[in-house]
Amino acid sequence: MAKKKAQPSMWYPMDNAGVLYAAISGDDYSPVYRISAVLDKAVDAAALQRALEKTIPRFPTFHVRLRKGAFWYYFVPDDRPGPFVQEDVCNFCQPMEPTAEATRLLRVCRYENRVSIECFHALSDGGGAMVFFKTLLACYFRELGEDIPNEMGILDVEEPPRPGEAEDAYRRYAAGRAAPRTWKATAYHPTGTPEPFYTLNVTQGILSVDAVKKTAKAHGGSVTEYLSAALIWTLMELQRREGSRERPVSLAIPIDLRRFFPTETVRNFILTARPCIDPRLGDYTFSEVVEQVRYQLRLELSRPLMQGNITGNVNFQKNPILKAVPCALKDPVMKLSYRLAAIRPFSMTYTNPGIFTAPARMARHIERVEAVLGQPYGDTVNCASVSCGDVLSISFASNLKERDVEREFFRFLVKEGLHVKVLSNRPDPDRNS
Amino acid sequence: MSYCVHCGVELDATAASCPLCATPVHDPKSPRDTTSPPPYPTRSSTVELPGKGELALLLTVILCAVAAACGLLNVFLKPGRLWSLYVIGALLTVWFWLILPIFLPKLHRAAKVLLDGAAVALYLFLISVDLNGRDWYLGLALPIVLAETAVVLAMAVYLPRHSILTTITVLIGGCALSCLFVELFVDLWLTGRWQPLWSLVVTAACGAVMAVLIVVRRVPGLRAWTRRQFHL
Repeated sequence: MAKKKAQPSMWYPMDNAGVLYAAISGDDYSPVYRISAVLDKAVDAAALQRALEKTIPRFPTFHVRLRKGAFWYYFVPDDRPGPFVQEDVCNFCQPMEPTAEATRLLRVCRYENRVSIECFHALSDGGGAMVFFKTLLACYFRELGEDIPNEMGILDVEEPPRPGEAEDAYRRYAAGRAAPRTWKATAYHPTGTPEPFYTLNVTQGILSVDAVKKTAKAHGGSVTEYLSAALIWTLMELQRREGSRERPVSLAIPIDLRRFFPTETVRNFILTARPCIDPRLGDYTFSEVVEQVRYQLRLELSRPLMQGNITGNVNFQKNPILKAVPCALKDPVMKLSYRLAAIRPFSMTYTNPGIFTAPARMARHIERVEAVLGQPYGDTVNCASVSCGDVLSISFASNLKERDVEREFFRFLVKEGLHVKVLSNRPDPDRNS
Repeated sequence: MSYCVHCGVELDATAASCPLCATPVHDPKSPRDTTSPPPYPTRSSTVELPGKGELALLLTVILCAVAAACGLLNVFLKPGRLWSLYVIGALLTVWFWLILPIFLPKLHRAAKVLLDGAAVALYLFLISVDLNGRDWYLGLALPIVLAETAVVLAMAVYLPRHSILTTITVLIGGCALSCLFVELFVDLWLTGRWQPLWSLVVTAACGAVMAVLIVVRRVPGLRAWTRRQFHL
C-alpha cells in the first residue's frame, strides 16, 4: 500500500504589528476591536451564519489560531468548524487568551438590527477587517435575496484567496534607511476610577457627515483633522481643570498605509501618526489647534518618513540577536517597550477607518456603521469614528467609571452647532423602572 | 425625541438618563419608550480565561523532581549530613510563595500570607534539624517569623481598603514595627532582656515621616496639593 503523503504544514509568520500585539496580550489585556453595521431590519441569524460559512474560506488569514513558538509567535490554519454567530453582549471586546485552545480570534455577533465582528488585532487592522466585514455583509444580503455586485472593496467569495491578500506588506516596503527613533515627551493621560476587569463602557455620538464637513471646513481642516483637534482641545480643557502639571496632549492616530503603498493585503498594514499640542507653549485658539493638527499630520504622512519607519520596525524583526532570544524573555521586554513607546507619549488613541462605501443595493439596507476600539491598555479612553452615507458615528471606549472625556467632547461639538445623538451601553439605572 | 438639558445632545427614545451626565429624562410631551429594545444589549457575559493550572503543574513536577533527586543523592553523597533538606526546604518555600498562587488565584491574601509565613518557618525548621539548632529555632527564628508574619498579615488585611497616602503611612509603620520585633527577639535571645538601640533610630525616623503623612492626610488642602504634585 502506498504511503499516504504527509500534507505540508501551513503556517503564517506574524506581520510586524502582529508580533507586537501577540506579545502584549495577556491575562490583563487583549488587543481586540469591533466593527458593526446597524441594518434596516432585524438580523436573520441563520442567514448570517450561512454568509459567514461562505465568507470565511475566502479569508484564510482570519480563520487561524495563534501558536507560541520558542522564539516567535505564528499562525496556523484553524481546522475547527465555525466560527459561529453569537448573541451580542453589552460588555464588548471580551478578552481573548490568544494561544489557548478554545480561543477564537474572530467573533461574529448579532443584536436586533446590529451585526458586529470582533477581531484580534494581530490578525488584521481596521482596513483589512473592513474588507472582510463588507464581504460578509454582501454575502448576508445575497442570502436574503439581494443581488450585490463584487465591487467597492467586496471580494468575490467564489474566487480562491489571492496570495497578495496574505502578504506581509511591511516586509515588502521595508527598504532603504530606517528612520531614526526620537524620544517623545510623556503625554497627559485622562484618568479616573477603573471599572471591574473587562467592563468596556462605550458612548457613541451620531452626527451628520455633511454638517461636520462644513464645520471642519470653516476651521480649515478635514473631518479627521477637525475631530482630532476637538479631542485634543477637550483633553487640554480637562488637563487645565485638573490643575495638574501640564503635559503635552497628543493622539495616536493609526494611518492605513494602503493609501500610500499599494497592496492587496488584508493583514496589518498601519503606522501611527502623532499630532501633539504642548499647552506649556501658550494658549491656543481652537482654529490654531486644527491648523497645528493639519500641518503635523501632513508632515508625518510623507512617504520617505513612513517608509523609514516601516524599515526600522521590520529591522527589529530581522535582527539576528533578537531572533535568538526566546519568547519568554522577549515578551516582557516588548510589553515594557510598548508601554514606553506606544502608551506613554500618547494621551489616547483615535482611529478613523474612513468612509464605509458599499454598492447602492447594499448601502440602502445599512443605517450606519460603527467602530469601537477595545479595552484600552491601562485605565483610559479611546475613540474611533467611521462614516457611512451621511451618518458619522464616533465611539468612545473606556474602562473608567467617569465619563468626562466623552461628555466634554460631545458638549464641545454641540457648542460648535452640531446636532449629536448619543447612545451608550452603560447600565441605565432607571432602564427597568 | 428628548434632549439633555445640560449637554444639549439628543437622547435615545429608550434612555432613562443622559449617558454623558446621568441627568434623568423627564419629558412629559415625549415619554420614554419602554417597549422598544435598547440600542445595545443589556446581557453581559464573562469569558473565562483559561487558568495557568498546567504551567503550575509542570513547575510543581520540576520542583518535585529536583527535590527527589537531591534526597536520593543525599543517601549516597555525604549521608552523615542532611544537606538535601536545604534544597528541599528552599523548593518548598518557592512552591508556597510562587506556585500555589497560580493554582489558587482566588486564595485570600490573608491565607496566602499565613501560608508564606508557615513555609519560611518550615524552611528554618529543616535547617535547624540539620544543625541541631532546636534552641535558636524556638528561641529566635520562630518568634521573629511569627511576629513578622503577624505584621504583614495585619497590613494585608488593612491596606487594600485605604488610600495611597494611608498605605504608605502604614507600610512605613509596619517597617518600624518589624525592626522593633527583630531587635526585641535578638536581645532576648542574646542577653535575656530588651535593650533597644538601632530599632529606635529606625522607629524615630519612620515616626517623623508618618507624622508628616498623617498631617497631609488629615488636611484637605495639603492632601489635594500632594495628589496634584505626585499624580496620586
